[in-house]
Amino acid sequence: MKLEDKIFKWFDDRFKLKELLTPIIKHPAPEYAVTNPLYCLGGIAFLCFLILVGTGVFLAMYYKPTPLEAYKSVENIMIAVPMGSLIRSLHHWAANTMIAAVMLHMMRIYFMGAYKKPRELNWVVGVTLLLITTTFGFSGYLLPWDQLSFWATKIGTGIAGSIPIIGEYISLILMGGTDIGAETMTRFFAIHVMILPITIAILLLMHFAMVRIQGISGRL
Amino acid sequence: MSLIEIEKHEVEEERHEPVRIRGLPFFPHFLLREVVVMCLIAGSLILMASLYPAGLLQPADPFNTPTPIYPEWYFLYVFGFLKFWTWNIGPIEAKVIGVTLPMVLWYGLLFLVPFIDRNPSSDIRKRKFAVAMGVIALLGILYFTYFSIVHH
Repeated sequence: MKLEDKIFKWFDDRFKLKELLTPIIKHPAPEYAVTNPLYCLGGIAFLCFLILVGTGVFLAMYYKPTPLEAYKSVENIMIAVPMGSLIRSLHHWAANTMIAAVMLHMMRIYFMGAYKKPRELNWVVGVTLLLITTTFGFSGYLLPWDQLSFWATKIGTGIAGSIPIIGEYISLILMGGTDIGAETMTRFFAIHVMILPITIAILLLMHFAMVRIQGISGRL
Repeated sequence: MSLIEIEKHEVEEERHEPVRIRGLPFFPHFLLREVVVMCLIAGSLILMASLYPAGLLQPADPFNTPTPIYPEWYFLYVFGFLKFWTWNIGPIEAKVIGVTLPMVLWYGLLFLVPFIDRNPSSDIRKRKFAVAMGVIALLGILYFTYFSIVHH
């Protein structure tokens, strides 16, 4: 018996791995989903999400979310930290690619009519995921604290603030006051690295579980 | 009685049989394609990140408004629609409509798509209305994105 077989058997004896893995491994994927590249878009978005988690954890180690330190710490990442520039740029590119992939994935689902019974709720979860992905982008845009991030956030919170009835509260909750400052930064940071990642992880699990239970919708 | 029930059950099972579709096992077929695509995308992302690094402008200055200010590209259409809509409707201000329509109404409609479109067919030739609405929405988003860049 080879070493890897022995290791597998050790775990299999204790956790019944074979029983657990076989239905996943043998689960049939429809032939058109394997051959048609349009079915890759959701997977591409998920890959971008994984890259964003990895690079994001790295950035959080060097980033300081205060108006005085934020810009300097990002500058430090770009200039002094080994591979810092590459990691931050990768975070930037993966974020934009993820949003594009999510949008294209939604267009495929729409034009193929894949949201129909029994998949209505998975569409709703999907639209929520799009909303969360763009909120990720919006909250991350402020963090470098440069001219563009400050003024774009000013306009963005202004736009959200002029929604009738709820707008006032949205902008108060987002900014933590009447103007963009230290309170806004820590809020955006908490939203970007804690609230949104937990929410998106739960919704992604639901999204994938529903695909697994209901199967991939077919035929264009 | 019980005999009839069993017969019914069997008939139902038979009817469901031909719905099954031909499939390839998840591992290795589906996963292999997925891994190849993921390698290509990851490689392209690293390439783009090294050729075009993320920018960093001057530090934020609350007393000095720069021009032009662009939001992220996926928010441009909201921005564009706000500039496009300059008409008050009764007591409702143009600005309120310009914000509410692309954010609240648009996302509300998106959420409700499966409940609005009750047509059970997924054949693109039998869903002319849904496809037309999709194309109109797409062109609208593209137009307002363009509008926000031109009328800056």
